[in-house]
Amino acid sequence: MKPVGIAIKRFVFIGLLLSVAGCSLHAPKSDYDRRETVVFDLETRVLAPNMWNPYVPGARLEHGFHQCMIEPLFILNTETGIIEPWLGLSMTSNETLDVWTLALRPEVKWNDGVPFTADDVVFTINLLLKNAPSLLFSGPMKQWVARAEKVDALTVLFHLTKPNPRFKLDYWSVKIANSVTILPEHIWKDKDPLTFKNYEPGKGWPVFTGPYKLDRFSETSFSYRRDDGWWGAKAGWKPLPAPKMLEWVWQGTEEMRTAAMVDGSVDSLCDITLGAYQALEHFRGDVMAWTDGPPYVWLDPCPRALEFNCGHPPWDDKEMRWAMNYCINRDVIVAVAYEGTSMPSKHFFPAYPPLERFTRILEQNGAYDRFPVWEYNPDKAREILESKGYTRNRYGYFEKDGKELSVTVTTHEAAIELQRVAQVVVEQLQTAGINASHRSEAGGTWMDNGSLGNFDARVGWMACGSVSEPWSSMDTFNASWMMPDGKRAQYNIWRWKNEAYSALVSDMGRMPLGDPRIDDLYWRAMEIWLDELPGIPLTQARKLLPFAQDHWKNWPSKENPYSHPCTWWQSTCKMIHEIKPVAPDPGKAP
Amino acid sequence: MSTMRGSSLAYLIRRLAMFALTIWLGLTLMFLIPRMAPGDPIAAMVARISSQAGRVENSEQMIQAWRTRFGLDAPLYQQYGRYLWNSLHFDLGYSMAYFPMKVEDLVRAGMPWTLALLSIATVLSFLVGSTLGALMGWPASPRALRLVLPAALCFTSIPPFMLGILLIYVFAFGLRWFPFAGAYAHEFPPGRNLDFVFSAVHHGILPATAIVVTTMGFWALGMRAMMVTTSGEDYMILAQAKGLRPRRLFWMYGVRNAILPQVTSLALSIGGIAGGSVLVEYIFTYPGMGYLLYQGIVNNDYALIQGMTSILIIGVATAVLIVDLAYPLLDPRIRRGDL
Repeated sequence: MKPVGIAIKRFVFIGLLLSVAGCSLHAPKSDYDRRETVVFDLETRVLAPNMWNPYVPGARLEHGFHQCMIEPLFILNTETGIIEPWLGLSMTSNETLDVWTLALRPEVKWNDGVPFTADDVVFTINLLLKNAPSLLFSGPMKQWVARAEKVDALTVLFHLTKPNPRFKLDYWSVKIANSVTILPEHIWKDKDPLTFKNYEPGKGWPVFTGPYKLDRFSETSFSYRRDDGWWGAKAGWKPLPAPKMLEWVWQGTEEMRTAAMVDGSVDSLCDITLGAYQALEHFRGDVMAWTDGPPYVWLDPCPRALEFNCGHPPWDDKEMRWAMNYCINRDVIVAVAYEGTSMPSKHFFPAYPPLERFTRILEQNGAYDRFPVWEYNPDKAREILESKGYTRNRYGYFEKDGKELSVTVTTHEAAIELQRVAQVVVEQLQTAGINASHRSEAGGTWMDNGSLGNFDARVGWMACGSVSEPWSSMDTFNASWMMPDGKRAQYNIWRWKNEAYSALVSDMGRMPLGDPRIDDLYWRAMEIWLDELPGIPLTQARKLLPFAQDHWKNWPSKENPYSHPCTWWQSTCKMIHEIKPVAPDPGKAP
Repeated sequence: MSTMRGSSLAYLIRRLAMFALTIWLGLTLMFLIPRMAPGDPIAAMVARISSQAGRVENSEQMIQAWRTRFGLDAPLYQQYGRYLWNSLHFDLGYSMAYFPMKVEDLVRAGMPWTLALLSIATVLSFLVGSTLGALMGWPASPRALRLVLPAALCFTSIPPFMLGILLIYVFAFGLRWFPFAGAYAHEFPPGRNLDFVFSAVHHGILPATAIVVTTMGFWALGMRAMMVTTSGEDYMILAQAKGLRPRRLFWMYGVRNAILPQVTSLALSIGGIAGGSVLVEYIFTYPGMGYLLYQGIVNNDYALIQGMTSILIIGVATAVLIVDLAYPLLDPRIRRGDL
């Protein structure tokens, strides 16, 4: 080879090596001081990162948007059941529950300095009503609100279309995940809310009332800078939150997220498995979860259940559903599917303190003696099946009239937890002689199949809704929601029809929250429900949420339950005010 | 001469007609397949909205309103006609899952990252793999070199995402030479500056390595087989007998003839990279197109699926057309219809 050729090749080779080395050595230096920045975990990538309109279908809220920029009117504390005021001071109804009066906190300002007033609330409601049902929350507002009326700068009257005792709780109190967002009229008044992105950095948009402003973002990470002119500090309501910066970062798979926390580059993670948590504990001693020891988890408001289409034979027969229940050993589900990080569920309610009272009512009245939901008793299951004319065939499965007793249990493809639960349930049903199988369906298909009644059984989050009062979940079984197979059901996708139960629940729904008459109605309705067992409560839903304590402390926990620990809910706005920096170790260089 | 020109023109017309037919068929299939799949995209979208919006009791009205907005209440033939017309005008429409984002905006955000990562990785993999394969199939190569093949195949049998995890563990978590994830450091947003370029290259090295190392074995295998065939050809023996230098014999007679099928595969691979690499993107949290397509499929987002697959179809069809048009220049038998 000619010397020139060799020289060129060597030059290219060395050039390539230097480029790679240069890029590696030129390791980007963060301009954030970790002692001033809290980094949260973001569960998925945000494909429309420049969308800061909270009401369009493509809106994402949990990347810090509704935790640190949007502030709610009220926040429900799931531990105490108390609705705590935030931008709102109070919201009370008249006796007939069809007019609600909202009093706003004085001195609240948007982050561009314009006062936040009753005009903004009325404007938001009118915008939702005008654009119903296309925007988030516009459907419910159209259903419930006849008109919103400004009384004075800080007072709004909501005239409802019909009485609703849960109007404040369901839509304004961050009951689950979020609440109705009030918009600044001076920004939104001439905009088409269906196409407005609410992002124009030159104008300081997006404008909300929270103590942080958008700093920068990409599809995988979002940064917010503290607004030192935040209204709450100026008004003396709350001091500025301690973190100067907040970040939400998508870390990818559980392995990567765990590695990022070991590395110290993230302070909080979304739900992880026990194995990952144990790895975290192994690599760093300062990690904490909701409880100090097992099961470590905080309970999500939507317990898991084996749900039937009660319109499909043989599951239209309550005794067949009870036979299935006797085949299920919940302790094994907890041990295998959850590695011990959950607990069996007796009820379709989450085991939150405000709802535990209602479970105790059942226990005190001997309901679980008469209806032993927790009993694992394959012999009893066999007796029921044999009484129905089923016999074991040569494969060990029950059959009747030559037809094998089989069931396909479906799950949502993205819900790994539910798939693991379903696999254990299927195994237990197989052992009991029922030819069960499991099928995971694409999310949209699974939900569609559910609402159209196109399933026999599924593991889902049956009756999700109640957090502090019983009616929301119980009403999902109301016969008024019944639809035939093939027609889309809003609730009661299980097609269970019981008029007596429905009448009792409808009565409950008309009563103010906390009305003492509710207890009796509840007990009578639940007697019917347990007798019929339209679904089988399996386990509580769990979230294992680790927090690192090397930079920040005072994270919420069972011992310190000032807020729930799920950092993707809007209630995180409270957490942000509570966490404090860890004092630097004087022996360590910064 | 005029016959040659005539046959070239006929060849060109045939290829162009095939190109148009391929695109039309592809677009039509991509219109039909999502609609044949179970699940209603609007119902899925409304279910997602409802899950974020407290207690919603009138979702059926929402479904109807959105169905009308997206034109899904029109007869199928009208939807098809509108879809073809919009496709011809490169109007990919609004995403259903990410409304009011336009599909083209979503694609525009992910495309540069995917193109940069996958095109560089694919070409590198092709060059390294084909060179290794050629050397392994060349009788005069040192024996030690042939040991490279099992090693290359060993990596090929590892899925890219698994190798990705290994690379992250060693080079990001252990040695801390490279970042864990992302396409660039958050501090250096995309722009025409060296900080950003360094950061993007720094972030791209591990995912690109995962792809190159796990795919080069395929190129090596194909190339080795072709080199073995080529090295037994008469013209090779003649060239050897004429005393040509081994290096010239290897590159100009061996590799040049053996590389033709590899080029076809490369063109197809390049045409298809717009689909991204979902798992590699997921492992490295890389903002490319694979994740976007995956989300389109999971959400039954007709517009997003159609938009992205249209790009894929046009990409692959164009790549095939280019190869078809380039081949006659390399091998006149194709132009004459001998093959």
